[in-house]
Amino acid sequence: MTVDVFSACQRSRNFSFVAEVFAREPLYAGAAFYLAALIAPTLVAMTLDGRALAGVNVWLKPLRFEVALTVYLATLAWFAGWLPQGVTTTRWYRIYSACVVCAIAAEMIWIGGAASLGIASHFNESSPILGWTYRLMGGLAVLLTSSALVYGILILRNPNSRLDPAFKLSVGLGLVLTFVLTVAVAGYMANSGGHMVGSSSTNAPGGPLMGWARDHGDLRVPHFFATHAMHFIPGFGFLAAVALPTSAAYRAVIGFGAVFTVFVAYTFGEALMGHPFFALLP
Amino acid sequence: MSLHAVFQLCTTAALAGWIVLLIAPIAPTLADRVSGLLIPALLAVAYTGLMLAFWSRAEGGFDNLPNVMRLFTKPEIALAGWIHYLAFDLFVGSWEVRTARSERIPFLIVLPCLLLTFLFGPAGYLAFTGLRAARAMTPLARAPSLQS
Repeated sequence: MTVDVFSACQRSRNFSFVAEVFAREPLYAGAAFYLAALIAPTLVAMTLDGRALAGVNVWLKPLRFEVALTVYLATLAWFAGWLPQGVTTTRWYRIYSACVVCAIAAEMIWIGGAASLGIASHFNESSPILGWTYRLMGGLAVLLTSSALVYGILILRNPNSRLDPAFKLSVGLGLVLTFVLTVAVAGYMANSGGHMVGSSSTNAPGGPLMGWARDHGDLRVPHFFATHAMHFIPGFGFLAAVALPTSAAYRAVIGFGAVFTVFVAYTFGEALMGHPFFALLP
Repeated sequence: MSLHAVFQLCTTAALAGWIVLLIAPIAPTLADRVSGLLIPALLAVAYTGLMLAFWSRAEGGFDNLPNVMRLFTKPEIALAGWIHYLAFDLFVGSWEVRTARSERIPFLIVLPCLLLTFLFGPAGYLAFTGLRAARAMTPLARAPSLQS
């Protein structure tokens, strides 16, 4: 048993992350590459466009989604190497993964199109069409996030993943929690009419990098941590698998998963009570 | 970044692409990559960014000449239109150089076509297409390409 995160390095001297990701899941890797390429014209638009929405440049949101979905798809493409052998060539998987990529394309067209028109995408109920589009996009967002759940279950149930048991658990648990926690947090957010709690008018001035609210609750904080369970928990699992004996590492991953879930719940409660996340940050 | 700066940057980039195209006989791979791929792609990024940011606020349309002219009354759209010329003219010029190389048309004969393409895009394309048509009908000129 090996941890296998870097087993590709052993197989090939000319290791390339990009080539490996494309070999493991060409569709997700290609879509990730395409989303990353969209960042270039988005940055140009952001530089030239003076329009603001809720206090920030209209192109900031498409930019964030491009980065986030690139990371999401590239991570899934990497994790695809630990799916049961042959799954990615089955008919149901090819149809399902195509639907996931189409859902992502629809989300990007919707968010980019709204930015181009200078209007809000999420929470926009100003006309029936925009309201129903928002609902449809919520459904598609669940569909695209479900890929984490499907991957998590398939990896957990894969008897031949060649992974250290603790690391395998961390990958599967992280993926499943990404789906469960994200749908819980984002579902609540979608039904509450906005991501701000306490004051809803502006996103500025937000905190560094993520732009989270400084003076009131921001539901994007728990959304961020919920969605990145698939990074934080496998990251911990990798370190645990390297540093601890197998059974201890296994228990440590379970413990970390529980602590992480509590942490997401804490940031969720904090935002609901109208407090900013910055109590935790220096 | 001001529109003027974008204009300067894009025009300079396109000029650089044309200069690289002129040295294509001694650096064919460089010319193909820079003038045929890299610079048109960068210009396309600038164009797409401008269109994303300003198309929804432009007045006019594609359906008749007065509407098209109204589109170009907005500086951002006129700049995008200019970048469209720059990108596609350079792309076509690069295609002429590649096509001439594979069909063994001497570079010196292609040069006037490139000049026309640089200044008056479609006229240069027409000149090059006419040149190829004329050569296709000339047995002597066709002979070398048969050997390849």
